[in-house]
Amino acid sequence: MSAPTPPRIELAGVGRTYRVGEPEAVPALRDIDWTIPPGEFVSVEGPSGCGKTTLLNLVGLLDAPTAGEIRWDGTPVGHRPDRERARLRLKGVGFIFQRFYLLPTLTALENIELPMRALRVPRAERTRRAGDLLEEVGLHGKERSFPHQLSGGEEQRVAVARALANRPGVLLADEPTGELDSGNAAAILALLERVRADRDATLVLVTHNPEVARHARRHVTMRDGRIASDVPGA
Amino acid sequence: MRWGYGSSLRHLRLQQVLAIAAVGTAVALPVVLVSVGGGVAAHELAGLENAGYQIVVSAAGAHGIVDSHNLTDRIRAIASVAAASPTLSLTVDVFPSGGSPTAVPAEGVIPDQFPATLPPEERDLFPSVLRLGDPTDAVHFDNGTYAGPASNDVMISTALAAAHGIANGTTLLIGGSDNRSQAVAYIVTGSFGAASSLLGPVEGSAVLLPLSNLQVLGGLATGPDAFQHDASDTIEVSVTGGSSVDPAALAQVRAQIQSLVPFYAVTSLGQEAQQLESASGVLTGFYLALSSVGLTVGLLFLALVLVRRVESDRRSIGIRRALGLPAGSIAREIVLDGIRLALLGAAVGVIGGYVLVEALAAWGSSGVRLAAQWARFDPVTIGAIVVGIVALSLLASGVATRVALRIEITEALR
Repeated sequence: MSAPTPPRIELAGVGRTYRVGEPEAVPALRDIDWTIPPGEFVSVEGPSGCGKTTLLNLVGLLDAPTAGEIRWDGTPVGHRPDRERARLRLKGVGFIFQRFYLLPTLTALENIELPMRALRVPRAERTRRAGDLLEEVGLHGKERSFPHQLSGGEEQRVAVARALANRPGVLLADEPTGELDSGNAAAILALLERVRADRDATLVLVTHNPEVARHARRHVTMRDGRIASDVPGA
Repeated sequence: MRWGYGSSLRHLRLQQVLAIAAVGTAVALPVVLVSVGGGVAAHELAGLENAGYQIVVSAAGAHGIVDSHNLTDRIRAIASVAAASPTLSLTVDVFPSGGSPTAVPAEGVIPDQFPATLPPEERDLFPSVLRLGDPTDAVHFDNGTYAGPASNDVMISTALAAAHGIANGTTLLIGGSDNRSQAVAYIVTGSFGAASSLLGPVEGSAVLLPLSNLQVLGGLATGPDAFQHDASDTIEVSVTGGSSVDPAALAQVRAQIQSLVPFYAVTSLGQEAQQLESASGVLTGFYLALSSVGLTVGLLFLALVLVRRVESDRRSIGIRRALGLPAGSIAREIVLDGIRLALLGAAVGVIGGYVLVEALAAWGSSGVRLAAQWARFDPVTIGAIVVGIVALSLLASGVATRVALRIEITEALR
């Protein structure tokens, strides 16, 4: 089964305001108009607190905007109910987090199988696919290892494999190298570039590190909840 | 779901153990109450069903039933009545050879009617023919004049015989008081056994006499000028085989007897059994209501543990939801976890309740021991309790699920 064509993602006038614990609304994002064509490799850069992660959460439908709309291939999806957004995430988006967020009570293989279980992929097939993915990220033989038995770089490789489990068209990576040494960071970036290219997937990579951002083809810089620049890379 | 993200495994296990213990305690309470209560009620019912007689006429007080011989004859004349025996229970003093007076319970009966009214388990305790001289107790009674010769035969319990070394054929002085000079010499003609009682040490009497002999001993018939009312306290009536199991026929006989004695209580044991069953049902309901308090506490504890676990697994739940796992799968895992804890607790409770009842049956005080020995572990009732606790666990899981599904993904992943 081949990977589905990534959707064209559009953000139109998107804003996100938080009110939790604050006497007044705190705007994290304001008036974002942004389009991500299918198969794009784009980095989102900017200082801490500028709204990078909030933007990524909205693109990946982890959160809903308080203003504006998010469209996938022209279809509004930003304000869909939680259940529908969860279904879209499960099938169409692979997340890679800075702190890996593997489930510590599951083995590497089980962590990769988790999204497939939610899609009710038959056991034999999901075990085979998880094994293939583990091999693809260079961790053959670590199937039964628990996260605490893996190095940071290995954990992030498992997280990349898990993100690819349901063959998503969109990969979203939030500071994927933030917890890694330079050697592992380079290996993970190379891995991400390779799997993206192999699958023609869209990759949005959030980072505050210009060296990491250099790998992308397009560079978005954020400041104070707004997109300050959006330029093609080298 | 394998929980544990962010929570200490040791604390997690402790919480599990405490939750199982709380549910187990909540289940053990109704298991013990219903099993023992139901067992005692069933034993009492069996006692009624095997009473031997099916109808009892009774009147309380010093006078009790008057004109007992005549009334018994009239009752015996009713169709379907197989036997009727008035009984008078008094305390008399016996004077064993060389011993001090001993107060013992005595029972006065019509000798040839009494055995037919005995329950099956007591028939072997008495000889089929009571050796009390005057089978119908008519000679001494003699139409209420007590002018005939007394049989002066007595049967004594094996316990009394053993306690004082009284052998058959020996003379035993028996009096209505501890004044030896007023005691009457009786010949011991036989002995009878004693049945174990329901909740007391020994049930039954130590001395068995013809009814009229005991009435005289008790000062209830001492001569022409005395107050002679031919007293007894109950008349036990057994009916013929077919009628004894036909409620309508039994009710008809009871009504006929009642018409003879409108001021006495006339009760069929079937009625008593129904009343006992009703009372038992009410008691079972009460036990379950009482147990619901324990079940509620167990439920609250289970809910607290599940919510605590959800709180300690916020990140794990957040990761699952971020990956797109449907809320239903997270809810299902919490519910399954609650059911698992409830079933483990229920198993602990059922086994614990059983062990507790067995311990009471072995080491409890006499009454408690007997009640525990009669306990009946009804699989249907215990199954209903387990189903109840599982149903309650769904409520507890529902609370925890609600908490889990309110977790903000982005908050949980910070």
